[in-house]
This record gives sequence, C-alpha cells and structure tokens, in this order.
Amino acid sequence: MGLWIQISSGSGKPIYVQVAEQISEAVAKGELASGDKLPAVRKLAAELVINPNTAARAYSRLEQAGLVTTKTGSGTYVSDPKLRRSDAADINILTERMDTIITRGLNLGLEGQDLIAMFKGRLAKFVNKKAERRKND
Amino acid sequence: MTETVLETEGLTKYYGSTLAVDHLVLKIPQGCICGFVGRNGAGKTTAIKLMLGLLRPTAGSSRLLGCDSAALTPAIRQRIGYVTEGHRLFRWMSIAELEKFQRSFFPKQWDHKFFADMIEYFNLPKKRKIKHLSIGERAQVSLALALAPNPELLIMDDPTLGLDAAIRRQFLEGMIELIMRQGRTVLFSSHILGDVERVSDRIVVIDKGVLRANCSLEEFRTAVKKVTLSFPDSPPADVDIEGLLHCRRSEKELELILIGPADEHIAEWAQRNGAEKYHIVKMNLEDQFIEYTAPPNHRRLFQWEEK
Repeated sequence: MGLWIQISSGSGKPIYVQVAEQISEAVAKGELASGDKLPAVRKLAAELVINPNTAARAYSRLEQAGLVTTKTGSGTYVSDPKLRRSDAADINILTERMDTIITRGLNLGLEGQDLIAMFKGRLAKFVNKKAERRKND
Repeated sequence: MTETVLETEGLTKYYGSTLAVDHLVLKIPQGCICGFVGRNGAGKTTAIKLMLGLLRPTAGSSRLLGCDSAALTPAIRQRIGYVTEGHRLFRWMSIAELEKFQRSFFPKQWDHKFFADMIEYFNLPKKRKIKHLSIGERAQVSLALALAPNPELLIMDDPTLGLDAAIRRQFLEGMIELIMRQGRTVLFSSHILGDVERVSDRIVVIDKGVLRANCSLEEFRTAVKKVTLSFPDSPPADVDIEGLLHCRRSEKELELILIGPADEHIAEWAQRNGAEKYHIVKMNLEDQFIEYTAPPNHRRLFQWEEK
C-alpha cells in the first residue's frame, strides 16, 4: 500500500486530508476490507515522502471517524463496519450534503430521474468493486 | 518537554548600512522538519550563516544544540550537518577523496556503508572528480555527505535550487529518512513551497530580514485565509474585521487577506456588513505565502482591464 495514494502538494487540501480521504475511499470501495492492516505510520511517511506527523494525523482523522482502530503495539486496522458508529449527527451531515447536490442538479436543469440515474451509476463504481473483492477472497 | 535545538535572540546583521537580518527571535524544537521560507534577499542565507557562526552578528546571538554559535566547539560541530547553497564542493577532489576529507571531521559517527550505498544508488563513479560532475550529481554527493555523519541537526540552504524533480525528491526522501531517526532535526530553506508542504511540520517565514511566522505548518495553513465578498452597493469604507492583513477593493467587491479568524467570525462579519455573497477561498501554501509576504498596497503586475 502507499503506492496508490497520490499526494498533490500544490493543492488547497492539506496533505493529511488527502491521505485520509483516499484511504476512506478505498475502504468504501472495498479495496481495503475490515481487518486489513494499514502500513505503519513511519512506513507510510517514507513511501509517500511526507512528514511522519502528517501521516499520523491522517490516521488519527480516520480513527476519529471510526474507520480504523489502532491496537497498541500492533498497528492500525480497518475496523469492522458493524462496530462503526454512525450516529444521528453523521446521518444529518450526509442528508445535508445530499440536499446540496440535489439543489445543484435541479438548478442545472436535470430531472429527478436523471439525478437518480447518476447516483446509481456512481454507486455502482463502489459496490461492484466491493463485490469483485469478495469474489477474489 | 521537547528540547530546543536552535535558538536565536535578537539576531541582527548589517552589511554596511543595509539591514539583512533584523532582531530575529527564533526557537526550533527537536524532532521537526522546519521549512525556512522567504523571498529572494529576505535574509535566509545570512540568517543561516549567522546561526552556524560563519558570520559575526552585528547584535544578538544564536545557539545551536545549546552552544553559542560564535564559539561552536569541534565536538558540537560534529553533531551538525550543513549543506551550502549551490553545493559548493572542492572541485579538484574525487568523490572518494571528498568522503575521506569530510569523514575526518566526523571521526566517530561517519557511516561509510550508508555513504557508499547512496553513491551507488545514484550511479556515480567514486573516482570521478567533482569538477566533472553536473549540478545534479554534485547535489547528490552533497546529500550523501550531509547524511553520512547522521547529524542531530541538519541545516540546508536552498538544497534543491536548480535541481530536477527526481533529484529534488531524493532530497525530500533524505530528510524524511533522517527525521525518522530518534531526535533528529532538519532546517531547510526553499522556494518550492510544494516541497516545504510535503515534508515540513514546521514553517519559518522571514521577510526583509524580519521574522513573520514560526509555527506548525498546519497552523499556518489554517490561519492565512482569503475571502471575497460582494456587496449590492459599495463595500463598507471601514473594514474592521479581526486579523485583517490586506484589503483590496473594487466597485462592489472586497478581497480580504485575513490571519486567524474562524470561518464563523467571517460569516458573521459578512452578514453584519450587508454582503450579498462571500466566499472563503481555499489557498495552497504557495498562494498563502505570496499573500502573506505581499506589500500592503500590492497590485498585480499585469492588471486585466475590461474594454
């Protein structure tokens, strides 16, 4: 791992956010499954050529989101989806973001059905990958 | 508590009547990679030379690893690595001779294998003379020379100036490699803000010899903000927002550079002053640096006029 994470250093997005987002996406797509071990902070830092503190910050962001758990002395693992807490506040944020997207889509002149089709198309990219991975396991 | 490895107190240097470094007060904690940035002529090289005791300050002092820069003992110097701007190495020596020479200054801790491995990795013939190397190859030799004694404090003056992307990356890798060893600290100056952002966890900004920032990179990234606001009529005459650094106005718009205020505070100010719309621009480090060091009434070099 590490190789598929792309750092873009001229971007407005802090590097730790870039790393955390790309790992989140890999988990959502099933490229990383629950129980998978993430590389040690120092290894990730060396591979991506980023400051070890930045790598540690990315992991702690993921940990706060409940996506990974750190076992002392052993490493950082993708956590079990059943154990990931999704409280009302998280769901609320999600609903709000969906509202923003729907608003933009409707303002662009798209119909509700177009939006649903787009949503399904994007979702397939994640779900299919997850299924593929299960088949390979 | 983290130890301070580099410390300056009112460090000042005049060249004749020109002020190069102006009362620099700086503390760098152990264990960080510190990006030292400033525009051309800001005083970075002078500051570095003062810290290393290679120049005598007009006033003030500095300490490296707890020892006054004006009186660094050989024992202290052995714990410090220094890479000069332009990688000036003795031209008449071969790589092998240069290693032998450099090694004599670090008799206890020189890692010959590490040096040899690096030279081999770079595919450089040990017997080749420095004068026959390209700037990139010379930089590679100087990187190997800097890392081989495993310095506790490595100071590099614009080490990637004029280097290609691949060799620049090798320098970044070298810094990461060193910092992963216990208690190592790096201070490097650079104009490539993307590199600074990539490897640093601390940033020092100097402008016209004056220290403008010395904080964690993250703090700097969150603090420097650009906000554009549009108003139905002319914008307020008095911009009394907290942390205002620059204010540029046009007929119905304001562009503000702010230091430190929270997004909610900006939203509240925008509303209170009747802004129609406001937008907090996500800047990269380079834009932040340019805005932060811009003179107060800075205008674009080329202004686009609507005909």
